[in-house]
Amino acid sequence: MSSAFFVAWCQLSYHRVKLAVAAAGVVVAVMLMLVQLGIRQGALDNSVAVARRVTADLVVVSPRTKTIFASAQFPRRLLYRLGSNPEVVAISEMYMGQGRLRNPWNKLEFPVSLYGLDPGAKMMRLPGVERFEEELHDMDRLLFDGLSRSNYGPVKKYLSDHDSIDVEVNLRKVRLIDSIDVGISINTDGNLFTTPANFRRLVPDRKPGSVDLGLIRLKPDSDPIKVRDSLRQYVGTEAKIVTRDELVAAEIVFIRENAPIDFIFGMGAAIGFFIGFVVVYQILYTEVTNHLPQYATLKAMGFNDRYLLMVVLNQSVILALLGYFPGFVLALGLYRIATRAIQMQFSMTAERAISVFLLTVIMCGLSAMIAIRKVRTADPADVF
Amino acid sequence: MPDPINTTNSIAAPPAISAKHVNFAFGEGDLQKQILFDVTMEVAAGEIVLLTGPSGSGKTTLLTLIGALRKVRDGELTVLNRPLHTASLEELVEVRREIGFIFQQHNLLPFMTARQNVQLMFHLHPEVTAEEAARLTEELLTNVGLGDRLDYHPARLSGGQKQRVAIARALAASPKLILADEPTAALDSQSGRDVVNLLQELARNRGCPILMVTHDPRILDVADRIINMEDGRVHSANVTSDVIGSIGQDFRVPRA
Repeated sequence: MSSAFFVAWCQLSYHRVKLAVAAAGVVVAVMLMLVQLGIRQGALDNSVAVARRVTADLVVVSPRTKTIFASAQFPRRLLYRLGSNPEVVAISEMYMGQGRLRNPWNKLEFPVSLYGLDPGAKMMRLPGVERFEEELHDMDRLLFDGLSRSNYGPVKKYLSDHDSIDVEVNLRKVRLIDSIDVGISINTDGNLFTTPANFRRLVPDRKPGSVDLGLIRLKPDSDPIKVRDSLRQYVGTEAKIVTRDELVAAEIVFIRENAPIDFIFGMGAAIGFFIGFVVVYQILYTEVTNHLPQYATLKAMGFNDRYLLMVVLNQSVILALLGYFPGFVLALGLYRIATRAIQMQFSMTAERAISVFLLTVIMCGLSAMIAIRKVRTADPADVF
Repeated sequence: MPDPINTTNSIAAPPAISAKHVNFAFGEGDLQKQILFDVTMEVAAGEIVLLTGPSGSGKTTLLTLIGALRKVRDGELTVLNRPLHTASLEELVEVRREIGFIFQQHNLLPFMTARQNVQLMFHLHPEVTAEEAARLTEELLTNVGLGDRLDYHPARLSGGQKQRVAIARALAASPKLILADEPTAALDSQSGRDVVNLLQELARNRGCPILMVTHDPRILDVADRIINMEDGRVHSANVTSDVIGSIGQDFRVPRA
């Protein structure tokens, strides 16, 4: 064990209460940073959950739209041209829109997102949807997103006990045949999946010729970017062709620009950092100030400035470690509470755990750097 | 322990401290206040020298210069064969490591036990193994009569005991010179006497020269020599008997 570390530990642990207060400050900081960054990530992840489920190699979108959640339509006929490229294996259309789902228990209507796509085309990863492929083609049959908010009532629970439930969507009686877990976002409280035909029944004013997304499957060995570029001439300025990754990236950009997620949660994390910084600085500064004569004595006896700086720096590292692990455990608990309260999935990632740990070390280190300036003022000649 | 310095005052041995025409002033320009005027003195190897004089006479300033805690700007000062008037800050820190300091205030680290406070000094001397350091620490604390208080924090020790820990600490890394600034000032007469006897005994055993600033007439008898300062000048550097005679009268206090 390094000598400076030992001195640092003795100094910190001598007053247990003071140490507990200092560590508590770091705990709060760590917890705030982890929770805020976790919710930010969770909100982002959930918001692009639908886009991430797209498995098509290329996606045709309207050039007027920035996000698939508020998509503008483009003419379906454009999609028929694209089959002329030998690399294209399959083309499928997808409709998206908003509806109002009436909670069958309390009879209140809540907005819901509607998706109309051919479940057999396998352009989206919807777990378990194959089982309902046949059934969805029947009139007014829909799948309910099991991760939808509880606004709509205990639909998922009901469906796990019963075969189906009849509900009202856009003033039309439909049957929810089961629930699959996909994910909701800041923009939407719940999702319903069905075929294009059923979609148009629910949104009768939508012209069948105007679609929201075109989903293109390419040959397995083809280069999506090259095909994308060669397909562009077929759609001209009426539609835009993007790869799957570009679609997800565009969604993330949209969410970040249009919902103030980064700002709100980034600010929360920054406040956590600041609280920790101030608490640690206060503690370290008083420690240094109170022991200035002793530090000066050590200098007089031949310890150099660097040694004393290491003592203070080690104290900050100890505080970082003592604060991080309880803060981490608390944050895990808060993730669970937030998942229940906000009804979006929040989980800890190794990346976030590590980056917040580094932030904590930096936070404590910065406080130490400032407190350390005081050490230099310890003048050994003043001891006599 | 490394070999103690030879205690016999052979003529060939260079003095532990040699100051020649040292001047020292605080402040700059109009505010400059000169503290030391043309100080010339020596402390031979193995000698116990007391530095006395009224307050403000520059004793402590001289001690900080000798202890390499301040830079000498005017004059020549050689301590343990190192010229301090030309030394850099790093070299000054080097010199400090060879000196055992005892202060008026014990200045022990309050958050470390007596044992840890003493053992800390060995961190400056990586050549001493951890086991050796632990053994020497116990030996030193036992020598100063604290063998049964090894793991006490300073807060649980009396003033005299704390000062004895401070002495053990000063002696820890086999210093070649001990500088003490009124080590008995904060102690009652019995503890003060004990501390001085201890210093004297340890110094004699190790042959380590001691330069001690003191106002305390009760301890003048331990000195080989007394240097009296007044107004920043060395007033007299007489042999022991003369000075004890004169100062002893000036400072005489009733003894129980």
